[in-house]
Amino acid sequence: MTALTLSAGATARTAASWVPRSAWLIAPWLLPLTLFALWQTGASQGWISPQVLPPPAFVWDTLRDLVTSGDLWLNLRASLLRVLVGFAGGSLLGLALGTAMGLWRPLQAYLLPTFNALVQIPVLAWLPFVLLLVGIGEPLKYILIAKAALVPVTLNTLQGFRLASPALREVAKVYGYTRRQEVIEVVLPLATPTIFTGLRLGFTKAWLSLVVVELVASSEGIGYLIVYGRQLFQLDLVMAAVIVVGAIGYLIDRLLDWSEARLIGARQATRGAGETQ
Amino acid sequence: MTIATELELDLDLRGVGKVYASNQAEGGQLQVLDGIDLHIPAGEFVAVVGASGCGKSTLLRLILGLDAHYDGAITLGGAAVRGTGPERGIVFQDHRLFPWLTVEQNIAVGLRNARYTAAEKRELVKDHIELVGLEGFEHSYPHQISGGMAQRVAIARGLVNRPRVLLLDEPFGALDALTRARLQTELQRIWQKEKITMILVTHDVEEAVFLGDRVVVMQPRPGRIRRIVRVPLAHPRNRSDPVFIRIRDDVLSDFLAPDGAPQAADEFPGDAVHAAAAPLPSLAYLRMAW
Amino acid sequence: MSTVTSKDKAELASTVPLSDEDGRRWRGLVLPVVAVALWWVLARADLVNSALLVSPGKVLATASDQVVTGKLWRALGASLAREFTGFLIGSVAGLLLGALLGVSRGFNRLIGPSFNTFKQISLFAWIPLISVWFGLGDTAKVVFLSLAALVPVVVNTCDGIRSTPKPLLEVARVYGYSRLQTFVHVVLPAATPAIFTGIYLALIYSWLATIGAEYLLVAGVGIGNLLIEGSEHFQMDLVIFGMFVVGLVGWLMNAVARRAERRLAHLRGAAQ
Repeated sequence: MTALTLSAGATARTAASWVPRSAWLIAPWLLPLTLFALWQTGASQGWISPQVLPPPAFVWDTLRDLVTSGDLWLNLRASLLRVLVGFAGGSLLGLALGTAMGLWRPLQAYLLPTFNALVQIPVLAWLPFVLLLVGIGEPLKYILIAKAALVPVTLNTLQGFRLASPALREVAKVYGYTRRQEVIEVVLPLATPTIFTGLRLGFTKAWLSLVVVELVASSEGIGYLIVYGRQLFQLDLVMAAVIVVGAIGYLIDRLLDWSEARLIGARQATRGAGETQ
Repeated sequence: MTIATELELDLDLRGVGKVYASNQAEGGQLQVLDGIDLHIPAGEFVAVVGASGCGKSTLLRLILGLDAHYDGAITLGGAAVRGTGPERGIVFQDHRLFPWLTVEQNIAVGLRNARYTAAEKRELVKDHIELVGLEGFEHSYPHQISGGMAQRVAIARGLVNRPRVLLLDEPFGALDALTRARLQTELQRIWQKEKITMILVTHDVEEAVFLGDRVVVMQPRPGRIRRIVRVPLAHPRNRSDPVFIRIRDDVLSDFLAPDGAPQAADEFPGDAVHAAAAPLPSLAYLRMAW
Repeated sequence: MSTVTSKDKAELASTVPLSDEDGRRWRGLVLPVVAVALWWVLARADLVNSALLVSPGKVLATASDQVVTGKLWRALGASLAREFTGFLIGSVAGLLLGALLGVSRGFNRLIGPSFNTFKQISLFAWIPLISVWFGLGDTAKVVFLSLAALVPVVVNTCDGIRSTPKPLLEVARVYGYSRLQTFVHVVLPAATPAIFTGIYLALIYSWLATIGAEYLLVAGVGIGNLLIEGSEHFQMDLVIFGMFVVGLVGWLMNAVARRAERRLAHLRGAAQ
């Protein structure tokens, strides 16, 4: 199959004709099923010790136990709460900073270099510092997650304001818009898609940071479950928790995709600003 | 600003010049316009034609008030032009409609800070939608309508707050030939109805002669008026009229070598680079040449 | 795997600092200078009674100690060595995998969905499993770092190859290019910016992953270990110094990568 036949959304028919449709449909499942079969066989035949890789049935049982005993929900709730609080705090601050810097160039000149320098230090490198300051409790998580969300939100918001089409801003000038009207009615709608991208990225990063922070320093939450299972060599618990993390991450992604389509769909036409046919 | 009677609002340009700082030009400065003298009585349709680099767009921007630093004087009805104002409107080449607003709302942008009541504004918007023939599309978004329609919305927006002067910066340049011809006729009709001053910048000579009472021919580097050609034909005009063709060819001759081919770059006075941007003869001209 | 490259652009925008166009650079220094001065005054004035409020002088002393005794270089060297090893392995593997996924529809159909699912799961969640299978030392860390570098390279390479503009492919077809010729002379050049983005991200991600790996797989020497040591012994000066080093290294990597990117863009002329 050559690169020439590539195109998004092509169906089985446009692939090389010797692939029957049924094969095309089941192809994505081949790898996972093979791996699963290997896993199952290895465990049941005793090739792999259950301490290294527990049988699939084990993991499934553990997963079910977690759900029915309510443990999963308890930990998940703790995690989600942290993410939401951290994200809310970080993105509100980020929106404020980004907007302020976007609208007043002098402020940008004073703040941005310092901000950029602090951005270079990843969330994890902040952990010991914040740990020493506020201890190992909830505030530690909130602060670190907020920092993770802050960076993309601020930078993208700033970028949104910077890129706001000068051509359209000129139109506002021609029609005598006051500065306030210009910002609220022209610049803000122009910046919205970029700002939203920043928020979206911020949430993704917040979730990722949550998992890491929980792995390193926490006594409840999804990440904690993973660590706990690891300490006790209960790999079934570890794997079950990893599956949950993956599922949540996937759901979050879907949710963000959906809301982006809803909010930005109408504004998709922003691409058309300044273009005639 | 009170709207004076039409007779008072003549547009006057005296000795207008504009210099840009440029690290590529000699002496670090680029003289884009030099010594522009123009008197435009109220209600006239003036077409400004010239190759790229002759400063015609800059001229419009100065009249519009987007740029306050220039030499010389620009007055409207005796009052000096300072900054933008409701008595001067513009239609850009790229329609510059706000993508998140409907056609109706886009036209209303022109009335954002105008002193009318809400009811009057609604009435004005409705009138201008009819004027440009876009009834039925009030609630469409820019990405849903064609380029020609979008440009009509831009024209409606330019007219909605009843300016005394409408500036048009190559408004049909980005459209296909058929749409362009159609919109030229439209614009002619609108001008006859509204009777306001219109200044159209274009590099299409035929368009200039079709629409303008006078055609101002500009030459580049620095931008100066080469000559002004009167077009004493009645409206609506006929592109096949021999008088029309004669005037058009006359203007075109400024841009063509004697044998009818477009001027090579170094033969046109002052136009150093943009041979490709010299005005092209229209299809009618080519047809007649056979 | 279609819209990821644009997300990666946003990603890059948030990791690469926006450049300041103004010539008055001194304004950027005002805030840090004032902050450090304030810090110094507070430390001196002894207003806050806490072992945590170390003076800037103490941080500098610790810094010079670390540098002079070579502790810093050992730690940094170990971290960077692991990072580059993981980065190289991951990038090479990623280029191969990404190229296969991009070129062959069949392969993409077989492996693509599984890979997509895999990359959804936060990479760090795999560490405990990795620690069981590979221990707590260097091997485990390099495995983890290779994975961290692999993902962005695969995604961007595949995307870059699949987004070769169809008009260009048609031209190749018209002139009878063989598949290999098409790949080498049309697809690869067109995909180069995207591939470069992927490698750039891989470098950044593997550096970020290095720190995390050292927290969780604690055996060995490294910058992350330095930070942990500082926090365990309540040595704020060591922690601050470590943060500074991490930030500096990250900044250097960004600067080098951006230079290379600009060079590349310059060599190619204006992209389409």
